[in-house]
Amino acid sequence: MQYSKATKIIFFTILAILGVLWMFPIVWAIFTSFKSNDEIISSDFQLLPQHWTLDNYKELTASNEQTPVFKWFLNSLIISSCQTLLVLVVVSLAAYGYTRLQFKGRDALFNFLLATMMFPGVLNLIPNYKIIDTLGWTNTFLAVIVPGAAGVYNIFLVRQFVVGIPHELDEAAIVDGANEWQIFRHVILPLIRPALTVVALFTFTGAWNDFLWPSVVMTDVDTMPITPGLQLLQGQYLTFPGVVTAGSLLALIPMLLLYVFAQKYFMQAMALNSGIK
Amino acid sequence: MKKKHQGLWSLLFLGPHMILFILFFLIPAVFGIYIAFTDWDLFGTPQWVGFNNFKEILFDSKSIYHTQFMNGTRNTILFVIFTVPLCVIVPLVIATMIQAKPKLYKLFQSLFYLPTLFAVSAVMLVWSFLLSLSYGPLPKWFGLKINITSTQPWAWVALVLITVWWCVGQNLIIYVAALNGVPVEQVEAARIDGAGNFTIFMKILMPNIRFPLFFTLVTTTIAQFNVYGQPLMLTNGGPNNSTRVLMMDIQNNAFGAGIPTAGMASAMAVLLGLLIMLVSVVQFVVMRRQD
Repeated sequence: MQYSKATKIIFFTILAILGVLWMFPIVWAIFTSFKSNDEIISSDFQLLPQHWTLDNYKELTASNEQTPVFKWFLNSLIISSCQTLLVLVVVSLAAYGYTRLQFKGRDALFNFLLATMMFPGVLNLIPNYKIIDTLGWTNTFLAVIVPGAAGVYNIFLVRQFVVGIPHELDEAAIVDGANEWQIFRHVILPLIRPALTVVALFTFTGAWNDFLWPSVVMTDVDTMPITPGLQLLQGQYLTFPGVVTAGSLLALIPMLLLYVFAQKYFMQAMALNSGIK
Repeated sequence: MKKKHQGLWSLLFLGPHMILFILFFLIPAVFGIYIAFTDWDLFGTPQWVGFNNFKEILFDSKSIYHTQFMNGTRNTILFVIFTVPLCVIVPLVIATMIQAKPKLYKLFQSLFYLPTLFAVSAVMLVWSFLLSLSYGPLPKWFGLKINITSTQPWAWVALVLITVWWCVGQNLIIYVAALNGVPVEQVEAARIDGAGNFTIFMKILMPNIRFPLFFTLVTTTIAQFNVYGQPLMLTNGGPNNSTRVLMMDIQNNAFGAGIPTAGMASAMAVLLGLLIMLVSVVQFVVMRRQD
């Protein structure tokens, strides 16, 4: 018993007040998205809609050519899923390579990769645009899927896991005649699943929420993901808060669902990130 | 069983990442520095201009880029100064309360973490309506008859508070995990010696979590230096460019309407990058010295 009952009650009260404040914008947005425009503009504030309506969502579905929000949603889903898959493959292979394979300069190479994480990412924005442009990838999903897999941090994270797996397991497989691929596939991969779950969650949310990069390389309305797309929605429906709020909520829904179902992993992941166990 | 050198396997396992790393990190990193010394327009052939871009940005008071850079850097630094302490202290205080495990503490932790997962554009749109004079409840409650996002100092207050609301979660989880790792015996021993909650916080909890604190201080600082989405969506840099941050100018010079001045934008990016590295190094040195 570290804290007295009184302390706990005080803490609870403060947290409860803060918690309500924290959730207010989201709750407000949810209810506002079910209000008619007249009701939103009317001066007296009420959290709950007096007349529930789906008009705002209908407006979003009315496949507007300037702001196809549901198409953006689908684009985001495809982009985030593909990037997650690509990152998982690339990262798990590399994490294995930098721990289990023997070649000259392996650790020096890995240390070099780690050092590049100090490099300010802002510098890569303009040249990366040029590379995507040269590859002919602007306004294609490839432009927002592939560059995200070049990062080093995830390899570092997963590598830590692979380092912790005893070599005896590999050696048993080698005795059975397994090659490197088979060791990777049947010994290592099943054991690093927790780390890969963490990588997958953060890659997916990162890709979904990315704003600056897609707004540079994805200017075409049809291939745009939803996060930069909302900017267009704001311009189009400046005087229709209900519609814009409904669109914003649509962008939040996958993250909410992911969080509800994978909360445990998010918490583990954050603790892992800080380098303490 | 010692393995031999495995060139071919290395290619298979490390090749995919190496190709992506070279193509989308190494080449851009080198190229980005190179074009900062050119007059590149994003599409033609870059012409070497030496340090001219940097001279113009830093010293030519008649140049638009100088004005942009000075204003953008000032606002970016202000943003960092306002948000970083709050983005460390607020989650630290919340984490300390959560770590005492009052009722529903797990629920609270989830609630505070949630906004972190949301896209900056969605978050800023919701907030801009909340703050809107015509539609939003907040100005009414506070009896404000002004447009918050286009009046100073309210625009800054809004920008900072919303950023804190948005980013508290990440550090919070780190602090909670760190505080849970503090040895119970130390706290109990201090209690027996008659230490109050505040003394325990300062004398036992804080020193124990100094590494994660430092880690989050550095990562938060770097993240806030790269601020872009919040002012773009909430205030569009206004009023009178008073919340226009450097990333907005870099983006606009390179990709905005008009002739792209990618060389100039790259030079600004180099300067911002140097500033970020400098601050990180200073933080590192100061922390080391205190240890």
